[in-house]
Amino acid sequence: MQRQEKTIFQYIDKWTILLYFILTLIGWVAIYSAVYNEEHKSIFDLSQNYGKQLLWMGSSYLLLTIILALDFRIFEGISPIVYGVTLLLGAGVLFLGREVNGARAWFEIGSFRLQPAEFMKLGTVMMVAYYLSNTDAAISKLKAKLVVGMLLAIPVALIFLQHDTGSALVYASFIFVLYREGLSVNYLVFGGLSILVVVLTLLLDEWAVSISIAILLALYVALSRKKMKAFWRGMLVAGPAIAVIFSVNYAFENILEEHQRQRINVLLGKVEDYKGAGYNVHQSLIAIGSGGFFGKGFLQGTQTKFDFVPEQSTDFIFCTIGEEYGFLGSIAVLALYSLLLIRILNLAERQTTRFGRVYGYGVASILFFHVFVNIGMAIGLLPVIGIPLPFISYGGSSMLSFTILFGILIRLDSGRKLVLR
Amino acid sequence: MSIKRDILWRIYLSYAFIALLGLGILVQATRVQTVRGSYYRSLADSLTTSYRSIDAIRGNIYAADGSLLATSVPIYDIRMDLKVDGLTSEIFESKIDSLGRGLSQIFGDESGREYTRRLREARRAGKRNFLVKRNIDYQQLQQVKELPIFNLGRYKGGLVVEQKSKREMPFRHLAKRTIGYALAGVAPVGLEGAYDRVLAGEGGKRLMQKIAGGVWMPINDRDEIAPMNGDDIITTLDINIQDVAEAALLRTLENNAADHGCVVVMEVATGQIKAIANLGRDSEEGGYYEKYNYAIGESIEPGSTFKLASLMVGLDRGDFKPTDSIDIEKGKVKFFDRTMRDSEEHDHRNMTITDLFAISSNAGVAKLINQHYGKNPQLYVDGLRKLGLGEPMNIEITGEGKPLIKDPKGKGWSGVTLPWMSVGYESRFTPLQLLTFYNAVANNGVMMKPYLVQEVRNFGHVVQQYKPVVLKDQIASKSTITEARRMLEAVVEKGTGKNLKSDQYSAAGKTGTAQVANDRYGYRESMKYRASFAGYFPADNPRYSCIVVIANPKKGLYYGSYVAGPVFKEIADKVYASIINPAMEEVKKEQSHRTIVMKNGAHQPAQVVLKKLGIEYLEKASDAEWVTAVSDTTSLALEELTVSSRKVPKVLGMGLQDAVYLLENAGLKVVPMGKGRVKKQSIPAGSAFRKNQQIVLELS
Repeated sequence: MQRQEKTIFQYIDKWTILLYFILTLIGWVAIYSAVYNEEHKSIFDLSQNYGKQLLWMGSSYLLLTIILALDFRIFEGISPIVYGVTLLLGAGVLFLGREVNGARAWFEIGSFRLQPAEFMKLGTVMMVAYYLSNTDAAISKLKAKLVVGMLLAIPVALIFLQHDTGSALVYASFIFVLYREGLSVNYLVFGGLSILVVVLTLLLDEWAVSISIAILLALYVALSRKKMKAFWRGMLVAGPAIAVIFSVNYAFENILEEHQRQRINVLLGKVEDYKGAGYNVHQSLIAIGSGGFFGKGFLQGTQTKFDFVPEQSTDFIFCTIGEEYGFLGSIAVLALYSLLLIRILNLAERQTTRFGRVYGYGVASILFFHVFVNIGMAIGLLPVIGIPLPFISYGGSSMLSFTILFGILIRLDSGRKLVLR
Repeated sequence: MSIKRDILWRIYLSYAFIALLGLGILVQATRVQTVRGSYYRSLADSLTTSYRSIDAIRGNIYAADGSLLATSVPIYDIRMDLKVDGLTSEIFESKIDSLGRGLSQIFGDESGREYTRRLREARRAGKRNFLVKRNIDYQQLQQVKELPIFNLGRYKGGLVVEQKSKREMPFRHLAKRTIGYALAGVAPVGLEGAYDRVLAGEGGKRLMQKIAGGVWMPINDRDEIAPMNGDDIITTLDINIQDVAEAALLRTLENNAADHGCVVVMEVATGQIKAIANLGRDSEEGGYYEKYNYAIGESIEPGSTFKLASLMVGLDRGDFKPTDSIDIEKGKVKFFDRTMRDSEEHDHRNMTITDLFAISSNAGVAKLINQHYGKNPQLYVDGLRKLGLGEPMNIEITGEGKPLIKDPKGKGWSGVTLPWMSVGYESRFTPLQLLTFYNAVANNGVMMKPYLVQEVRNFGHVVQQYKPVVLKDQIASKSTITEARRMLEAVVEKGTGKNLKSDQYSAAGKTGTAQVANDRYGYRESMKYRASFAGYFPADNPRYSCIVVIANPKKGLYYGSYVAGPVFKEIADKVYASIINPAMEEVKKEQSHRTIVMKNGAHQPAQVVLKKLGIEYLEKASDAEWVTAVSDTTSLALEELTVSSRKVPKVLGMGLQDAVYLLENAGLKVVPMGKGRVKKQSIPAGSAFRKNQQIVLELS
């Protein structure tokens, strides 16, 4: 027993844990800067968000320790239970939750708020990994695709019902996991092209895009040696493409909500609206841009400090870093995330079980999606999608859920060698 | 092998894809922060910071005794940010009704439902700066801050408060026109206008930053130009005399249904204006209020009060003596085609100059002057100018009426000009100019410049002091002055001013009853009169001079002695009783068997007052500077009131004057609200404060 304990902690990937600690500490300081309040100067003041974040960090560290102390074998087994419980929470919040900014996505217990969507990601990753670890569930098979699709569709549907589009989009990142597990590259290509077509359609005229595609396909056919085969192949592409093109505008006008439409228009540069939908991004850009190369210095940021940037301690926390620590600070944070991601992909790849590997890729994908989308949004590269920056943004739910997500991977990794024995 | 390769490929592709997106971020971050950094930085600065002017606090206007005549009180506009982050639908919906009800209760102008409806609408429209109510006072603001939702504060409840300041005159209409106002784009009026620069101070500039909700807040102390708060001005006005003058004038105007009137009381020795009241009838409402500064602005034919000047010209030149006799021809003297008549028919023939002056004989004065100067009117006119007449007083406030003395060589001079001029027609003076002349007579011939402001102070320190100014050393020989004063005394002793006689003191003066020239019909057809009285008291040792002018009395009486005289007497009576020679007997009678209520205040004056009033008291605060009076039905004790220089003094229960003195001396800036004694002080006694901090006193 004693010997085993020793080995558990011996195999823990300390560098990854260190990166995790650094990121949470950066987050704490950034939140302090973002919501700095003259009257509550202490960074430990529990009445302020920075004080509260410290509580969440403490709880997360404790949770991490507990997870690392658990037997690594239980995680695979409890996956369906975790999935089920988080789905129940996600469904429950629809009826019992509390509305914040138009999204009914929060449980309120006393002064604490819990966002089930954050934990549903965890449940879903575990469940997908659990399912795909079955020897006969090869993703190349239709059945597996359908089952995984279902596993993803349920939380996505629940999150959509909570009007939390941002969190729902996170599930798109699972495509990497599935790709790694053998999903045809065509899906990725198809997905990528679809996004390209959608963006072009929104930017340009739908006929212009259709004709461009037609010309490209015509060229393809003309240059092919087997013209007949090429023609049918071309038609196979053209059909869905045309369908996508002409459904984009319909979807844009009728399915998306007004604020989402506005955000996309602003991002595409079709509308310049610095006061309405473009306000956040514009302010965020000003904050980050005005930071310059070296930044304005600790607590010297004016844009974030004076509440120009909304959601500055949660979704737009990157502004604070960009403004106060400049390009160097931004690059440093990006570098830390890159290191963390590479580390996690390495861990995932060296897993000895399929569950571990799929889970690892799931963690990497979700983390990557969050980081990429959050920072991309803050620097005006992507539309405003309200998802937090992992480990840095203020908020207990995201802090705890990412810690669990991360902790389980570390624990699986530290136990990977025991599986073979 | 191929599977392994496939997997490797997939891994590489994944890494490559991630790297690509990461690169995208990197490129964009570089672009934003370095390439376009300066652009965004300038945008940040221009958007968020700017030099904003900070208003200086306008100085107060005080009466001579320190009573506040005009002060600035803060008023507030309240707005609501309905999209503030912390204001959730749940809070809003659950409390909006009670917020609406509360607003309705405080302001009482709209129903609670209406307020609720408007706020709901504003929230739907996403208003971030919705105007809830303009111009509310400090107390209302305190109540508003307690209302549901608003009590959550700026960031949760969305309450946005904008402070402005409003000029308030604690004594309302008292000397209102003289205190005046200064408004942008309007010709300045009164002292507020004349001393606008002094009072206004200088606005400062401060680097400020815009924060959420359009609120500007200061960022640091650098590059800051502090506002220079306005200085206070201490007028010469005596609040008690002013009060008496205004009340007496009002009563007379009402009793005689007159058009308008004015009173000026001047301190003989200095020329300080102690009271200046101007009341005009509101043509629609019928009441009287300060609508024009007649005393300073209205240049009028003075009427009989001018006879003094006419006679003094002759006396001073030695052309006649008060005892000389002249045939006044039963009050009817013909000059060319026009007859000069006395106002009442009589059979007097030979009369001394003193006597004809006392009964205000037009015929007599006109005949006398015409006899001596008919051939050379220039001598008479020069004589008037030598008396100091015909020059503007250049009083501090703008709009002084121009004096007019006709020139014998000029166009408007005719054969009848001289006789008519000698009794107060054909020339024009403002009441103040005429009073200045009378004041000089009372002051043994030394003509003092009338003035309204004696000091400019900054936080209690005298910045500038205005001393009495002599306009003319000696307007006439000592003997002329003595004779003139005798004649004026005779008016009250036995002439037209008999009804003004008092057994307490002696007064001297001259009545005036002038017909007012009608633009279309001249004097003859006009039934409009102007009753006036100019004089001083006590006659033997003049302290105050006073002029009363009542325009167009309509109730039959129009003689100066019956219309304007009583105003003079009422003022003289009260001033004599309360200032010159406080009649203690009466006060004593009233005081016995009454609980004495005394304000907290300075020790020494309190002792003086109690001694003068003959009230016995127990001295428990021998060396104290400030005392509080503890009294019951049988005794009164003075106890020490501790006033520390560094802590905010306790001024509860004090009168405003003492409170202001104490607080301003301690270095606080007082903003009084209401009248009476201090009921509440915004900074509690004993707490520390910084210099020039504002303290709001609520009086009741």
